[in-house]
Amino acid sequence: MKKVKILTIILAIVLVTMIAFGGVYIQVQNRMSDKVKDYSYAMDLKGSRNIRLKVDDSTNTIIKDSEGNEVEETEELTDEQLAEKGYTKEETPANSQDILTEENYTKSKNIIEKRLKKLGVDNYIIKLDKQTGDIVIEIPENDQTDSVVSNIGTPGNFEIIDTETKEVLMDNNDIKLSNVMYGSDSTTGTTSSGTAVYLNIEFTKEGAKKLEDISNKYVKTESTDNTENTENAENTENTENTESSEETATEETTEKTITMKIDDQEVMTTSFDETIKTGEMQLSIGSSTTDSKTLQNYVEQASSMAIVLDNGEIPVKYEVSENEYVLSDITNNELKIVVYVMAVIVAIALIILVIRYKVFGLLSAVSYVGLASIFVLVIRYANVVLSIEGIFGIAIVLILNYIFINKLLSKLKDEKVDDKTVTNKTKETYKEFFIKIVPICIAVITFCFINWSPISSFGMVMFWGIALIALYNFIVTNSILKIKASK
Amino acid sequence: MKNITKKQKIVFAIIALIIIVGAVITLTIGLNFDLRYEETKRVELYLGKDFEVSDIKEITNETIPDQSVIIQKVEVFEDSVRIIAKEITEEQKQNLVNKINEKYETEIEADSTEIVTIPHTRGRDIVKPYIIPFTIATIITLVYMAVRYKKLGIAKTVLKTVIVSIIAQALLLSVIAITRIPIGRLTIPMVIAVYLLTLIGMTTKFEKELGIKKEKENKNKK
Repeated sequence: MKKVKILTIILAIVLVTMIAFGGVYIQVQNRMSDKVKDYSYAMDLKGSRNIRLKVDDSTNTIIKDSEGNEVEETEELTDEQLAEKGYTKEETPANSQDILTEENYTKSKNIIEKRLKKLGVDNYIIKLDKQTGDIVIEIPENDQTDSVVSNIGTPGNFEIIDTETKEVLMDNNDIKLSNVMYGSDSTTGTTSSGTAVYLNIEFTKEGAKKLEDISNKYVKTESTDNTENTENAENTENTENTESSEETATEETTEKTITMKIDDQEVMTTSFDETIKTGEMQLSIGSSTTDSKTLQNYVEQASSMAIVLDNGEIPVKYEVSENEYVLSDITNNELKIVVYVMAVIVAIALIILVIRYKVFGLLSAVSYVGLASIFVLVIRYANVVLSIEGIFGIAIVLILNYIFINKLLSKLKDEKVDDKTVTNKTKETYKEFFIKIVPICIAVITFCFINWSPISSFGMVMFWGIALIALYNFIVTNSILKIKASK
Repeated sequence: MKNITKKQKIVFAIIALIIIVGAVITLTIGLNFDLRYEETKRVELYLGKDFEVSDIKEITNETIPDQSVIIQKVEVFEDSVRIIAKEITEEQKQNLVNKINEKYETEIEADSTEIVTIPHTRGRDIVKPYIIPFTIATIITLVYMAVRYKKLGIAKTVLKTVIVSIIAQALLLSVIAITRIPIGRLTIPMVIAVYLLTLIGMTTKFEKELGIKKEKENKNKK
């Protein structure tokens, strides 16, 4: 009976080992496919999106009238027509010479770095060429990458101008912070039409004063029930909503309006119903909705705008000159070599265990292999992203488990062993071992919560590894040794 | 004050010497950075077909000799290659293109292949993301140690742990500086290893001291 029990456990371990290291292959469309989940790799092992932001050296053509004022809507005019009207063309560089300084390049790099952090990019490499101002960035390749790329190079220029005179009333310097807010919107009293997404802009003390003055000055003469929502919806390209809003809007007369611009794109043109004394402005993004996909889309739009505005304006204008996915220089073959080296070291260590502790050593070695197999499966199914630090974590877990087993076996070596002795010695080993690794556990748990994939990968691998050492050895190693020791 | 043995004195002197030499080298010559973090030159070639990195490696060994080179496949189709080296001359580029054309029967023109400069990564940018995690982990660990080993003296326990951790990391960095091991992918795992070893070492030491102290207390009670 004793032998059957031990054999059953060993066979179970062999099965798990085969699944973990060999896989489970099932025929799918004339092809054998492994049904065991694959590892998720971090940027250093998988590859990254490489982006080069080049200092924009293009020039813009500006048409000016005879008085030197900039004239808009002249695209359709020919050169002759321009001359007839007394307009002149002027070529202005996207980046003037006084902007192209090392200080501004560094400032731009720092702002981009802040944006990357705010966008939740969990690993990046950023390099600045101080001579040319070019910035090279490496970020992980995933579903968010394109959205991140579109946000990092955006200048983030914010302006509130007088629609008529084009006088700049407020700019980036007046912004304290920007974030996304939610609110439930109701159309008819108690009936909720869903959730609305707002871009909240909080202004500095000085900015708040300016906003108060502006909202006093640019006030509607006839107020209606038509609110900012209508105007804002126009600017978030929600055409459906815009149309319906336009239909319901009542006529109104305004004295003066302001235009809000982000990166020279008009976001909204409006006037104010009342004086804003809070120093905050909420712009609704799209219309309120109950559809989660639409809502998600609005949230993404608002988040992008918030992140761009929150970190200030990039002083230098950049263009994305390179944007490609580059695979890691660590090839699969190199990774296999690492695995083989680890396997050889483990094998030698286990042989030593068998030589030193005979039958108990052999059973513990089998148990050890079982832990390693379950461990690699847990890493895969717990969606742990593996980086080089993560692989290092695997090695440490294997070392820790070896230390644990060796400690336990050394306690059993000189004893007359029965199942009670095994239980007592296991408890003793647990106490001694885990008290010593409490600081490691603290570090590991801390690392798990860090949004930086190399360190979180190490943390997660170690977390599952230590949890497994605690559970697995109690259930499997302890049991197998107890069965062997029982009379 | 505990007496320091002669053996301990020698060990301390060696550690101090290594740290001083390491600091001098770091401040004068600087650290040796991996190619990934150095200022490098890069060429990118579109082969339009599958290729093996090892084959390209053979070609770069011939055309860009005595230099470490990074070879990377580009884009999802993996039919382009990126070759990064510390220095790539026009002549080396020409030879590289010729050899690749010969091997893969491609018609890549060297003149239309640009040598692009990749700027270096600043050391502080590499280190920055790790400062907060290690600081938080260390603070929590110190709080734990102060509570667990309060019988040994809170200030003594905390100070010892902090000093030993700093010395251990300084020693590691000094060894890296002296041996010219490049700062690269394996540096952080090395730092983590030293960090964890220090913590385990300190815990083992304090547990031992605590055990002795408890034993003494029990004897006194009896």
